[in-house]
Amino acid sequence: MPQSRQPLQSSALAAASLATLRRGDQLFETERRLNAVLNNASVSIFLMDDRQHCIYMNRAAEQLTGYTLAEVLARDCPLHDIVHHTYPDGRPFPLAECAIDRAFPQNNHERGEEVFVHADGHFYPVGFTASPIRDDSANIIGTIIEVLDISEEKAAAERQRLLLNELNHRVKNTLATVQSIAAQTFRGQADQAARSVFDARMVALSTAHNVLVADNWESASLRSVVERALAPHLLAELDVNRFRVEGPDARLHPKVAVTLSMALHELMTNAAKYGALSVPEGRVSILWSLAAMDDGRQQLDLVWEEQGGPEVAEPTRKGFGSRLIERQLPLEFDGSAEIDYRSAGVVCGLKIPLVTLGWMGQDVIERQAAL
Amino acid sequence: MTLLQGRRVLLVEDESLVAMLAEDMLMELGCEVLVAMRLDKALVQARTGEFDAAVLDVNLGDARSYPIADVLFERCLPFLFATGYGVEGVEAAYRGVPVLQKPYQRAPMAHLLQRLLTCEEPARKGADPHAGLTCACQGPVPASAPTFRADIAT
Repeated sequence: MPQSRQPLQSSALAAASLATLRRGDQLFETERRLNAVLNNASVSIFLMDDRQHCIYMNRAAEQLTGYTLAEVLARDCPLHDIVHHTYPDGRPFPLAECAIDRAFPQNNHERGEEVFVHADGHFYPVGFTASPIRDDSANIIGTIIEVLDISEEKAAAERQRLLLNELNHRVKNTLATVQSIAAQTFRGQADQAARSVFDARMVALSTAHNVLVADNWESASLRSVVERALAPHLLAELDVNRFRVEGPDARLHPKVAVTLSMALHELMTNAAKYGALSVPEGRVSILWSLAAMDDGRQQLDLVWEEQGGPEVAEPTRKGFGSRLIERQLPLEFDGSAEIDYRSAGVVCGLKIPLVTLGWMGQDVIERQAAL
Repeated sequence: MTLLQGRRVLLVEDESLVAMLAEDMLMELGCEVLVAMRLDKALVQARTGEFDAAVLDVNLGDARSYPIADVLFERCLPFLFATGYGVEGVEAAYRGVPVLQKPYQRAPMAHLLQRLLTCEEPARKGADPHAGLTCACQGPVPASAPTFRADIAT
């Protein structure tokens, strides 16, 4: 082997090992243990010298790369030229461009992802962690590199991405299908006003799901939910000053996002038909705040207030909108909701304890299990 | 339909819009409806509420309605599960319970409720779904009844 500073060699230790037979026994025993650990580890471990040559690799590394340690040592070249010489697109990958080997890591546990080339020529994605090895005077004399094959993780992430796309597509498609079935079924039978109310509600439901799609169905931004619910009207109105929308953003559980979207849609529809949005000078403010509850959750306190519309009278019949808002919403989220038909304009106050993100009812089950 | 007239039904359904639909259907069948949309509220209703039968949506958000089913078994109150996944959507220990396929439809709902209310032998937990309906009320629930907690993920 050519002259090089090698991280496994220590002249002091080498001298000491010759000092007594007892020392020699201990060294042998230590090496046996280390080999047992290294060769049973599932992570691939490479030890590099200061010339980027690999001077040791464990069994997992041999299986990962398709090369034995003897083969790698015999090549007498940087490890990069053996396992990392080509980009996945076929271009040569010079050592100078390599994130792992280009320079010694300055810090412990520098991480990254790369694509290696197997001895049989196939590419495989890996995650690596590189840490420097220093000599007694703190000079960096080598690198220890841990490598994991991340093909499974990459495949799983890809499957999840495909599933999410399929889910988004199906949800939107199903809503569009329901709309079409309703149109075909009630053609010439239902009055057109009812049909357009139905269509608008389907669009509101679809819009609510758009917000969820944007965040992988995990949660939705409160501000986005409010803005999207107002969006058709914002576009329709030249004077965007008709709306005042103010409040801190928060992450909403998907269930809260959908029901709140539908509730806001009903308020919008009512305002456009009878309320402040039915006249040019009418205005609507949607203001909210978040307050800490005793149990550590946050409560959304949202007030919808109409001004400048025609004089309001309490409706004689309560429809879908008021039922959804005043009855279902509190039942679904353990909150409260009130619609006040003030003569100056409708005021709707919603108090919704925000569900901890995670799954709904989890807290209940956990409390029961603890009893 | 007359059999359902004036009967009180506990409806447990966690989606607002779907709950409205199911409630309307039950009311059109002549039932009085108690609605619960959350597991905690439904458990309170199941323990102390006065009703003749119950309709339980299996999936309540990410929780399941099995703890409510257990309370109803104890009280010997007849109930059915509603799920979009059919019998396969119900845990094995609860397969003796009649299943209403979602989306909710009036005729199957009426049919199953009438059967529940006329059948003298309500379903028992862990009953063999192929052995017909058997009754827990004819004797005490055996102490060895499985304490199956399907609601807790393992």
